Amino acid sequence: MLALAAYPGIYSVLVNSPMSSEMVALLPRVETMIVVFYFGLFAMSFDFISGYTGYLSFGHTAFYGAGAYFVILAANGKIPLLAPDTSFVYLLVLGGLLAVVLAILIGAVSFRLTGVYFAMITLGFAQVLYVFVREWDYLASNPSDGPAVLERTDPFSIGVPGIDSLNLAIGQLAGDSVEGLLGVLSFNQAEVSYYMIGLVVLICYFAMQRIVHSPFGKVLVAIRENEERAKAVGYATFWYKLGAFAVSAFFAAVAGGLFAGFQRSVSPENTFYFLVTGDALLASIIGGFGTLAGPLYGWLFDETVTEFLSKAGQGGGLLPYLREHLGDATMATELYNGLTVGQAIDTFLNGHAELYIGAIFVLFVLFVPNGLLGTVRDKLGGPVGEQIAARLRGDGK
Amino acid sequence: MMSIVLAGFVDALGQFLRPENLAAVLVDGLAKAGLYVMIASGLTLIFGLMGVLNFAHGSMTMIGAYLGGLVMVTLVGSATGAGARIVFFFVALAASFALLAGLGGIVEIGLVRRLYDRPPLYQILLTFGLTLILDELIRIVVLFYGMQPTSDWVAAQGTKPYFLEQSVDLGLVSVPGLDLFEIGFGVLTVATLWAFLTRTRYGMIIRAGSEDAEMTEALGIDVRRVFTVVFALGAGVAGAAGTLLMWESTWGASVPLAADALLPAFVVVIIGGLGTFRGTVVAAVIVGMTDAVMTWWFVNEIRFAGLPEMTIFLLLVVMLVLRPQGLFGVEEVGGH
Repeated sequence: MLALAAYPGIYSVLVNSPMSSEMVALLPRVETMIVVFYFGLFAMSFDFISGYTGYLSFGHTAFYGAGAYFVILAANGKIPLLAPDTSFVYLLVLGGLLAVVLAILIGAVSFRLTGVYFAMITLGFAQVLYVFVREWDYLASNPSDGPAVLERTDPFSIGVPGIDSLNLAIGQLAGDSVEGLLGVLSFNQAEVSYYMIGLVVLICYFAMQRIVHSPFGKVLVAIRENEERAKAVGYATFWYKLGAFAVSAFFAAVAGGLFAGFQRSVSPENTFYFLVTGDALLASIIGGFGTLAGPLYGWLFDETVTEFLSKAGQGGGLLPYLREHLGDATMATELYNGLTVGQAIDTFLNGHAELYIGAIFVLFVLFVPNGLLGTVRDKLGGPVGEQIAARLRGDGK
Repeated sequence: MMSIVLAGFVDALGQFLRPENLAAVLVDGLAKAGLYVMIASGLTLIFGLMGVLNFAHGSMTMIGAYLGGLVMVTLVGSATGAGARIVFFFVALAASFALLAGLGGIVEIGLVRRLYDRPPLYQILLTFGLTLILDELIRIVVLFYGMQPTSDWVAAQGTKPYFLEQSVDLGLVSVPGLDLFEIGFGVLTVATLWAFLTRTRYGMIIRAGSEDAEMTEALGIDVRRVFTVVFALGAGVAGAAGTLLMWESTWGASVPLAADALLPAFVVVIIGGLGTFRGTVVAAVIVGMTDAVMTWWFVNEIRFAGLPEMTIFLLLVVMLVLRPQGLFGVEEVGGH
């Protein structure tokens, strides 16, 4: 957690250090870390329902998409009764509540089913919404490309609504930058967005953490382990599942809202499409299924690999680094039938992170079923923070 | 306003009910059913025996489309006659069936086999990971040869014999030749698989394994090998389906075909009942007909391009609400 709080500072120090080109190649950019935050929140919300109750919510994008579209449509004055300049924080909460309503409607019919059938019916609902959003021309002039912010003049700001000095705008171009805070600290636009989005994600994480460790959360785990027994003990499991579904939908919509607020445009493909749920699933498995913070680390891993294998100008990575250090002679060496080293890297590595992430994912499924965080916890014997604290105090095992 | 809309609707309904339109929709629906049954039967075979929901099924279909296209584009020149093209098509079909079956066998032995004693979720996860790998590999290959992975492979579509591109006059209506080819192909596939499952000894073993794997094993049959064979068979059928899709203008060989084929396959398999072949056949006809009817309404009256696709997913949702086990499914399959 502390490492994340200091990350932009560490990043700028390391990138300007003597090892700068190695650091640019290896470390994700601050912009990438913002994506890690909001998408990590979505993956967490997916894990909240799927990892804790064992019900695979394969249509979770419905809520992410609802939150994202709600923000953009409100900013374009297309939501009745909402002015385009409504405070962003209100929009996040309202989008979340919309998702709660949607989750109760979908969940009320879906939770009569279990296993594969539950996954399929939620997938069905999400795909109905996806096709609808892709084709409905009220949403955007070209609905299959999705809407962008057109009418709103205020930037999207996170903070206390109504008090300008307690708000900071997020966004790649429209965001605020801060200079001379407390006399010494200055933050550029990306760093301000990083902290403000990180703050919202942190609050959401604590809220979900609180729920997971409450008696309510214990019932969710009981449902995952043995639903029949949980019922026999006297819990009305249906209502617990529905409640958990609504909570997770709320946070998924907040994540979608943050995404929309930061990018200022959305498309059906990156919000409602079922493969977006696949990404959340991937993050959850690599990070640790059934551990709340795990998906965030899982997605951090995914984004790091993706950026590492991307082109120059998108955060650097392997190829620009090799070009700089290997020299033209090596890069132009022929490997096979006119294929040079440079071309081989371009063909097999650049932009094809998905291949390697997929392979790592399969290895995780086979050999590390508890994911990164789950395995570390197994090794330490409990949550990482508690164990480190215990060892520092000297009363560790 | 309302009455104008209503009048337009009634008018369109009158149009729709005219015999020639109904017949055209019927043929179109059967052709679509032929495609759907091809896409879905591999999935249902695998699920029926081992309870594995193969998420990589769409990717295997997509690879089949590219392989089929590769064979066709290599063999067919502009001078190739129609008869030779049909022969080459069956060569392509056999090639992609064999290669995909090989891939399926390797996947079963190397990966899926390790997971039978874990919860079903892990098989979904594994095959999902496999999808990422396969799709990206194909994207690398396709890009390497200078083609666009997201757009249809036009050269492969152009290898159709001329008579499949022309319309055939059936008296009441004239229908595209390709539609008739797809109907025939679907019927042939269903008949072959049906005969295999019910008329051969191996088919009997597969059915016994689906019914009760433990009992079958106790009777001295190596169920593990049967699993491998069925996984290979399912993958092979997916590849064959892909080869058929390569000619279709609405599908075509492209990397997104993986997802485009996977979702309808899920819908058909769920509506029919997980793991029943009969259910899959009936559901393919239902989904094909729904698709055709909704396509007609979209083209003629309701200006909403997503109508057929949306209705198919609605069909899935409604079916799961009313009868979760599907048309012919057994209740306990696929639950926890």
